[in-house]
Amino acid sequence: MAEGDRAASLRAHDTFPKLLLRNAEQFSGRPAFRQKDLGIWQTWTWAQALDEVKAFALGLHQMGLQRGDKVAIIGTNRPHLYWAFDAVEAVGGVPVPLYADGVAAEMQYVLQHAEARFAICEDQEQVDKVLGIKDELPAMEQIVFEDPRGMRHYTQDFVHDLKDIQKAGREQEKTSPDLFLDEIAKASGEDLVGIFYTSGTTGNPKGVMLSHSNVLSAARGLVDLDGMTPDEDTLAYLPLAWIGDHVYSMGEGHVTGFTVNCPESSDTVMIDLKDIGPTAFFSPPAIFEGFLTQIQIRMEDASPFKQKLYHYFMDVARNVGVDILEGRPVGAGDKLKYWLGELMIYGPLKNNLGLSRVRVAYTGGAPLGEELFNFYRSIGINLKQLYGQTESAAYATLQRNDDVRLDTVGPPCPDVDIRIQEGEIQLKSPGSFIGYFKNEEATQETLTDDGWFKTGDAGILDDSGHLKVIDRAKDVGTMNDETLFAPQYIENKLKFFPFIREAVAHGDKRDTVTMFVIIDLDAVGNWAEKAGLSYSNFLDLASMDEVYKLIGECIEEVNQSLARDSALAGAQIKRFLLLHKELDADDGELTRTRKVRRRTIAERYETLINALYSDAEQVDVESEVTFEDGRKGTMRATLKIKEAKTFSPDELRKAG
Amino acid sequence: MTLHDVFVQPFLDMMDPPEFFFEVVIGGLMSGVMYSLVALGFVLIFKASAVFNFAQGVFALFAALTLVGIMNGEVPVFLTKTGISVPPWLAIILTLGVMVILAILVERLVLRPLVNQDPIITFMATIGLAFALEGIGDIMWGSSVKALDVGIPEGSFDWLGMQIQIFDLWAAGIAGVLVIVLAVFFQKTAIGRALRAVADDHQAALSVGIPLKSIWIIVWSVAGLVALVAGIMWGSKSGVQFSLSLIALKALPVLILGGFTSVPGAIVGGLIIGVGEKVAEVYWGPLVNGAIENWFAYVVALIFLLFRPQGLFGEKIIERV
Amino acid sequence: MADNANQTDEMILECRNISLAFGAVKAITDVSFNIKKGEIRAIIGPNGAGKTSMLNCINGFYHPQIGEIVYKGNVRKQMRPYEAAATGIARTFQNVALFKGMSTLDNIMTGRNLKSNHSSVMSFIYSVFWLNWAQKEEDVQREKVEEIISFLEIEAIRKAPVGRLPYGLQKRVELGRALAAEPELLLLDEPMAGMNLEEKEDMCRFVLDVNDEFGTTIALIEHDMGVVMDISDRVVVLDHGEKIADGTPDEVKSNQNVIDAYLGVSH
Repeated sequence: MAEGDRAASLRAHDTFPKLLLRNAEQFSGRPAFRQKDLGIWQTWTWAQALDEVKAFALGLHQMGLQRGDKVAIIGTNRPHLYWAFDAVEAVGGVPVPLYADGVAAEMQYVLQHAEARFAICEDQEQVDKVLGIKDELPAMEQIVFEDPRGMRHYTQDFVHDLKDIQKAGREQEKTSPDLFLDEIAKASGEDLVGIFYTSGTTGNPKGVMLSHSNVLSAARGLVDLDGMTPDEDTLAYLPLAWIGDHVYSMGEGHVTGFTVNCPESSDTVMIDLKDIGPTAFFSPPAIFEGFLTQIQIRMEDASPFKQKLYHYFMDVARNVGVDILEGRPVGAGDKLKYWLGELMIYGPLKNNLGLSRVRVAYTGGAPLGEELFNFYRSIGINLKQLYGQTESAAYATLQRNDDVRLDTVGPPCPDVDIRIQEGEIQLKSPGSFIGYFKNEEATQETLTDDGWFKTGDAGILDDSGHLKVIDRAKDVGTMNDETLFAPQYIENKLKFFPFIREAVAHGDKRDTVTMFVIIDLDAVGNWAEKAGLSYSNFLDLASMDEVYKLIGECIEEVNQSLARDSALAGAQIKRFLLLHKELDADDGELTRTRKVRRRTIAERYETLINALYSDAEQVDVESEVTFEDGRKGTMRATLKIKEAKTFSPDELRKAG
Repeated sequence: MTLHDVFVQPFLDMMDPPEFFFEVVIGGLMSGVMYSLVALGFVLIFKASAVFNFAQGVFALFAALTLVGIMNGEVPVFLTKTGISVPPWLAIILTLGVMVILAILVERLVLRPLVNQDPIITFMATIGLAFALEGIGDIMWGSSVKALDVGIPEGSFDWLGMQIQIFDLWAAGIAGVLVIVLAVFFQKTAIGRALRAVADDHQAALSVGIPLKSIWIIVWSVAGLVALVAGIMWGSKSGVQFSLSLIALKALPVLILGGFTSVPGAIVGGLIIGVGEKVAEVYWGPLVNGAIENWFAYVVALIFLLFRPQGLFGEKIIERV
Repeated sequence: MADNANQTDEMILECRNISLAFGAVKAITDVSFNIKKGEIRAIIGPNGAGKTSMLNCINGFYHPQIGEIVYKGNVRKQMRPYEAAATGIARTFQNVALFKGMSTLDNIMTGRNLKSNHSSVMSFIYSVFWLNWAQKEEDVQREKVEEIISFLEIEAIRKAPVGRLPYGLQKRVELGRALAAEPELLLLDEPMAGMNLEEKEDMCRFVLDVNDEFGTTIALIEHDMGVVMDISDRVVVLDHGEKIADGTPDEVKSNQNVIDAYLGVSH
């Protein structure tokens, strides 16, 4: 490659490695990554990050990584694994990130399908998983690990310490100093940035091929919308293999040069959050739900005086908090009250959650209950929903700071077009993917003839151009009396109660709606202790009459709110049961991003659903559970079924 | 005596003039500091060795006596006295040395033989220790009241219409510094941690190789240091006399108020009792012909025993079944 | 686990003809056994067999009336707790003896007590007159402690008061405190008692890792036979204070005395 061409290519900043080069120059001394190690936060500047990436990339090159080779990256959020993306891309490889908590069987499919030649693993646990299935992976040649703990006795010649590879890379640099830049210059924005396997709620995972340009346009669009600067601090704790984290931690991080902080371990996220106090925070709804549950549990334990104080100021916040956040005028008295509330309640609360510096908080991946959403915005956290799919590099719509409506996910992002066809949301986005890897058929199925991407979500665009997502299109059904049945909508209302961790509604082509409820062990356990009830385990707790009564009351409240909406009054919950165990991703009941897999659940618990639609007052269940090490066992239980009170719309109108 | 006299008039008096009220409060804080220091000595020893040291007040007396004796050259040598006057700073260091020797002796002669005995046994032993020390002090230094001057500035000045004693400010300052140093020592150093470990679980502490004997000597030495500071202040103010050991009795209600295991409790408790009894004496005293000061602390302690037995800061007493 | 690479033939500890009585009650009668450097040695037996008493003799809490203990070549009539700790014996307790009011970090830091280069009295004097020195010393010890925290994967509870932790985690912290002393011989008294299956598996892994990574010799008392047979190199069986069997897990398993003792055949 001619010198001039190379320089021009590098100046284009159209790939991640090129942005890394720019950042190492422009922000050389600024922190790029931090990670807590042995109790102390370690910092790498952009210049140091480049140095690490360069050594790693050249080392991989020397090991024989060819352009186009697929490289699996398996682990949690660690700077070295983020650098692995850059390093692999720099020498023309294609990263394939895998969920760290996946069991070996799940990994096998992806590794086989992607034909990965290399695997870069975080630690012994991941290496063991890959070694365990290596016989089934003809393409797999080299395994690299980052954390040497426990790896002393691994004598296989294809298992390498990342540090040794970097050492070899540094040697390589001495003999061929131009190699690194030459290789980087060969790539352009249209090249693959990685293959992201979507867990999918049905069938085998599909490999979404995204280009550098896909991810970087998405990142740039989001950076512009919220004015992200190099001064942001973020906490990278969401799965590395999830597109949301990639766009956010890698994409926005490389585009702006801000600091990505990695937690010490997955157990310490809440502590690290407090340590760092990020200025921007991205989290799926489950985490925000978890926070609120925590707060509510703690308030139950607090003294009556504190409880009064809390409820008083939360009322104040509910009335004026959102107006203050969005800069609308409010009365001086309210302002003073809100200020006092900030001093006594909201401030300490935010500080306790590690959210006191947060300028903007995002949530996405699944709908967030309105009540929950309101709670955070009212205490001054600028929480916004964004909407997108892996196939659009998580880039479709985002709520704007001054115009957040609780029931929508905001207007389309810049350069995104959205239309509704037969109730389904379809879009064109600069983030729109290249296609599914080795699955042209599926690619064709998800694209319309005129090139729009079919999201599979049901939704409407309202008059002001905001998108409202109702549910997964295939999940939305109708009941026998023609009432619209949108299961997530009802479930989310229930999940707002701290006692309820998960809920699964049934009602498509039925006369009534019924519900599986999975109680929140912490919250209900705490409640039970207070009430003087003793229990030994989850099942024990979930089969108590008192707990049924407690959950029944939650359901009644939801029924009341459903009854107020005449279109949904028919979808009130008639009968319910409390499931004997938590839903588990290892059992395939949830996706790795904790979305409910309806079809799996419907199949597995068919007898329970049938019982809900019969007169039975209890039902026996036997289910298979998978332990952490992959062994299976069975669990037997007898579940009670209870009726919930329903309301007629007229009745409520008269009353209220 | 009308209800008005008890519940209204005293408060009106406090406001008229407020300067006088504040002077009373400051006076109370001053004796409160003394109570706090003695109580602090109790708490330290109780936490580390589960011994209720009845002799803590006598420690203060003994330290003050020793200090005066060394300063005045009255150290007995073969039935005569050295006659060499010693400057205060050196005398303080020497006294500290005596207190450390005392701690070593206590460990040797009292704690070691009685290890693992019931708390009541060790408590009785410390009562014996108290009498023994008083006796030794008397024999060595005589029983007359002695003046103590280690050079803490005297005098007073007016501030917002109140008379402030410079000595009081110094006393408060020294006590404050002492408390901070102790807090840092306990929370931030390896020895402090070892002390807390011993207090928590003797056997486990032994298993990690914490030498119980050294720890006890250190704790009793620290308690000796605290006693010395208390002795210097009380002695400088009112002369070194045997009534000093009586403040130990006041420390008891302070402990009940603050909690037996809480350092902040000892300090806050001491200040509350100190201020409370002075204010009660001045404003309610005339109603009952005075002397409230003598029993006020015990009444407060009694009330606390009834309603909050663990004290203000003590660990909640939960009997697990 | 007969193929423990660490195991050597060198003895780290030998108990010779140990007898211990409390008044008229005989706790241990004429028990001899040895522990090889680098092995995992289990002591098993029914309740009241004298297992914990044996550990207490080894680390000096109890003083046997008869017999001697040879530790690292030195013959002793009896050990003393401080001496045991100072010469590389660390232990955990059946009923978790942690410093409940202190944090996980502080608890493990106490395990470093003997690793400071100064005696308690000297470091007391240093820290009174020179806090900076005390801080530097703390930092040195802290680093080692952090390695243990990372090793045992308890980062999330570093600052939590241990009294409030679940039982399984308390056991792990206690192991951490013992490890902080970098012991040569680690005595574990029922490290898995009261744990659920998952916690037990974790603890097993840690015990094996400790033996493997640090080469620490481990003597453990355990009731879960599955665990004992899985992880130990050699097993000694006590019953009513007497030794009834000694050998590899397989040998012990098929020993008639052991089978009788566990089935409760009267003597």
